[in-house]
Amino acid sequence: MGKTDDKKSGAVMVVGGGVAGVQAALDLTELGYYVYLVEKGAAVGGAMAQLDKTFPTNDCSL
Amino acid sequence: MSQEEFNPKILGFLCNWCCYAAADAAGVSRYQYPPNLRTIRVMCTGRIDPAFILRGFAEGAAGIFTGG
Amino acid sequence: MVEAGRSPNIEILTNAELLSLDGKVGAFKAKIKINPRYIDADKCTACGLCTQYCPRHLVDKYNEGLSITRPIHIDFPQAVPATYYIDPSACLHLKHDTCKICVPVCRSHAIDFSQKPVDRELSVGSVIMSPGFGQIPDEALEKYSYGKHPDVVTSLEFERMLNPSGPFQGHVRCLSDKRHPKKIAFIQCVGSRDLGCDNGYCSSVCCMYAIKEAMVAKEHDPECEITVFYMDLRTQGKDFDAARTRAEDQFGIKFVRAKVADVMPWDKQLKLTYSTMEETHHFDPFDMVVLSIGLDSPTGAKELAKIGKFELNKYDFCKTETFTPLGTTRDGVLVAGAFQGPKDIPESVTQASAAAGIAAAMNKKHRGKGYVIKSYPDEQEISLDEPRIGVFVCHCGINISGTVDVAKVAEYAGGMDKVAYHSESLYSCSQDAQEVLKEKIKEHKLNRVVIAACSPRTHEPLFQETLKDAGLNRCLFEMVNIRDQCSWVHANEPEAATDKSKDLVRMGVAKARHITSLNEQTVPVTPSAIVLGGGIAGLTAAENMANQGFQCYLIEKSNTLGGHVALMRNTLQGDNTMAMMKDLESRVKKNKKISVMTSSELTDVSGFVGNFSSVITTVKGKKTTEQAIDHGVIIVATGGREYRPDLYMLGKSKKVITQLELEERLAGTAKNRAPGSIVMIQCAGSRGEDLQYCSKICCNNAVKNALKVKAINPESQLIVLYRDMRTYGYAEDAYREAREKGVIFIPYEVENRPKVTQKGTTVTVNYYDPILQEKVSINPDLITLSTGFVPEDPENLSKLLKIPVNANNFFLEAHVKLRPVEMPVAGVYVCGMAHSPKPIDEIVAQAQAAAAKAAIPLVKGHVNVEPTVSSVDKDTCIGCQICVNLCPYKAIQMVKEGKVKKAETIAASCKGCGICASRCPTFAISMGGFTMEQINAQIKAFGVID
Repeated sequence: MGKTDDKKSGAVMVVGGGVAGVQAALDLTELGYYVYLVEKGAAVGGAMAQLDKTFPTNDCSL
Repeated sequence: MSQEEFNPKILGFLCNWCCYAAADAAGVSRYQYPPNLRTIRVMCTGRIDPAFILRGFAEGAAGIFTGG
Repeated sequence: MVEAGRSPNIEILTNAELLSLDGKVGAFKAKIKINPRYIDADKCTACGLCTQYCPRHLVDKYNEGLSITRPIHIDFPQAVPATYYIDPSACLHLKHDTCKICVPVCRSHAIDFSQKPVDRELSVGSVIMSPGFGQIPDEALEKYSYGKHPDVVTSLEFERMLNPSGPFQGHVRCLSDKRHPKKIAFIQCVGSRDLGCDNGYCSSVCCMYAIKEAMVAKEHDPECEITVFYMDLRTQGKDFDAARTRAEDQFGIKFVRAKVADVMPWDKQLKLTYSTMEETHHFDPFDMVVLSIGLDSPTGAKELAKIGKFELNKYDFCKTETFTPLGTTRDGVLVAGAFQGPKDIPESVTQASAAAGIAAAMNKKHRGKGYVIKSYPDEQEISLDEPRIGVFVCHCGINISGTVDVAKVAEYAGGMDKVAYHSESLYSCSQDAQEVLKEKIKEHKLNRVVIAACSPRTHEPLFQETLKDAGLNRCLFEMVNIRDQCSWVHANEPEAATDKSKDLVRMGVAKARHITSLNEQTVPVTPSAIVLGGGIAGLTAAENMANQGFQCYLIEKSNTLGGHVALMRNTLQGDNTMAMMKDLESRVKKNKKISVMTSSELTDVSGFVGNFSSVITTVKGKKTTEQAIDHGVIIVATGGREYRPDLYMLGKSKKVITQLELEERLAGTAKNRAPGSIVMIQCAGSRGEDLQYCSKICCNNAVKNALKVKAINPESQLIVLYRDMRTYGYAEDAYREAREKGVIFIPYEVENRPKVTQKGTTVTVNYYDPILQEKVSINPDLITLSTGFVPEDPENLSKLLKIPVNANNFFLEAHVKLRPVEMPVAGVYVCGMAHSPKPIDEIVAQAQAAAAKAAIPLVKGHVNVEPTVSSVDKDTCIGCQICVNLCPYKAIQMVKEGKVKKAETIAASCKGCGICASRCPTFAISMGGFTMEQINAQIKAFGVID
């Protein structure tokens, strides 16, 4: 424990798993990078997961 | 004239890229329209063989809508 | 979210804190502490039994404290990871060493109280900070009786009430006595634009969500009366004003410009004290008051900044610069989302992509290292098996089940021939539902799947991915649209909508009986990009593409680079625009990976994502040259320009100029450049005159120029006539400063726009002053019009690339919220003013986001061709060539087969339109996924009468 995970050098760390964090993580994987998504809470999604519909189209938010 | 008196069954062929997308957009904007249409999605109205139209009428469609 | 949960290249570390961040760009060492969940994620099946047995109550934070949960729980059913956890601050065992009821209850033995916090050290090249936003402290809400009366709620609490998965299953109820409120008031700018709680900025999202919540509440109860109390309605985003008009005209929501002074509990109701512009005082009762709370800086922002060693701004959000909106003050540490400044979802998504693109450029050397390529189980061979169809009908919260009787539809499907399994799900797109789908495919040996839910245009790829995971070919799938094209459009006819859903499901199942596996082909891509437009968006996008390692062709129509920003002198934040643009231009010109082509235009394009072939025509003097370029992607950054309406005497009087002209004049040295009296007219020609939309930046430009005038000539009397001052975000500070410096802001109503007349050299402005309550007529030295921005002619490009524009001629993105820089045509991206008018920092972020998205297919190195293409049965083909002549994409060629020629599809060029198939005289051409057999089956199923 506490040992450095060196295999993934060049990986990117994203701090915060809301809509911005999740999107950044997804784009990074598509651009060829390994991502650590570090979230304080028990699940990702952030505030957006609390929303049902979004302005202006009232489309669902998930 | 009330809805019960005239309640036709309409078959629609919708192009995925325009009319089907527009029908989705109508939903997103919550436009309300009569519930008589049953649709078949195609990738382009170019896919519609004239035989499809004839078959639709044979199956009892009161009208056929093609949107593309 | 679901995608993040199943990517093999994202390790999600929840309950995790950043402890330290040492090193530098390319070689950071991050120490992380992962707190225990006390539940083994691999064993937990998310069955929920533990929560039922847990004896202790806990306020449910996910539902904004409106309901009760237990210390052992999951925040919401679609959570990723879909694993329960124990809140150590409330668990009886962890606090008092008692209880442990949950341990024997859990059938999969997932509960593990022996878990300890784990420390990990990660080596990373870059870091993206996206901790989001925080909540306005309750003290700031107390003046509105929040906490004193239960029927004063925050907008987030109200949001949860409206949600079908919320505390009251989507019903709005007064918390005091559970009655349905008949009169609701929204109070805007609570905790924003409020120096009382040190939040001088505008939160930029509250006007939008308040309108949304009001509209949804009206959908729930059309009888309910809703009033929104506001200072300025800041619906400045793309197409946002249209939604605001809809709220007012269609939904009957009342908008009142007034600051509410007091909310007083009054028997069972609440009485609001406010005065309108006309100085009439009101004392009106409401059943419920919703406080539109702003976005605060995230909790722990100061600590995060200390650990991450970067700076915050005065409001404790991350400090950034106009031209580098995603860079923190520490190299290699980026920021995205609301932590950069309050913003909405599309802005956050855009910034996230932009940050990803910048991080990708920083770590170019390491691309692909440690990267896991996803593998799928071998595809089952099903061609000889009888169809076993599984039908899954989605509730979509209440989006579908609010209108359609989902249980009935599912049951109906169950009775159909070849349907081996049927069920319902609350959200069929959630991650847990994907797991269920996979299980059911295995358990019931399903070989075809029908999902009745939303639109295949948005959700087909998600389900197809799940099919692949389950070992099925992704084409063994059919989607039935009972939301967008049924429940949403027949909201008042539940029975008819249910009947329609049954018919559509029957037709879908009929097709599904005939669907087969189809092969997927891949083709290599040309790893280069064309960027159209040499303004700030194009320059920024090209630079990022080149920094990621890809060749770029920057095509500019005029003979100079710089676009509309080159006409500006500085920004509201004080940046020297000209110097910044010069700098960017010279960086781009020096970059070996970028070829800059001025006086050039795109005149022809063919091909598809990954393999475009374009013709660029350059006109220099009398010489016209054409160059053919092969490239993989196109970024559209064609920009916009200041509009010049034929209104308010513009062009007729020397005393009437635009904001850009004033900016240039103020930067000069003329003595009377800031004369003694100036009137500025906002929305001149916009928001309902020539232009229907808000251009988002004119208010900022007006305030910027007003401050400059005051700096040059403090005596100058400046009046700004406006509809809503839309100085959102931190620009609110400048607006306040302008008022403090004596600039007079006077609102006008749309039906009562100011009028400008001219007599000799005198210009007169006539307007109505709502405070004086009378018509005013003045003769200023200068009139400055905020005229809005229009896109550079999008018509040709729209036709050439087959990309759509909206009603206002701006290019229309693929999905307003979730795909803000992608166009509906694969491989084409949009950014800058061509998308919609916006300030420089937003343009830069959008351009970087477009570059990040455009790099994705180039990084992959290949594109997958949709399997729904045509194929020719050579034995039946008679070589008549009708198809070759008809194909609009040149996707069919004739090949020699012995002595005769036969048609053959070039799969990579085929768009699957099916013209060839419908015209083939011998029925030799079949369309993957849309065969004659399948469509005929659908038509036949249409005709069945129950």
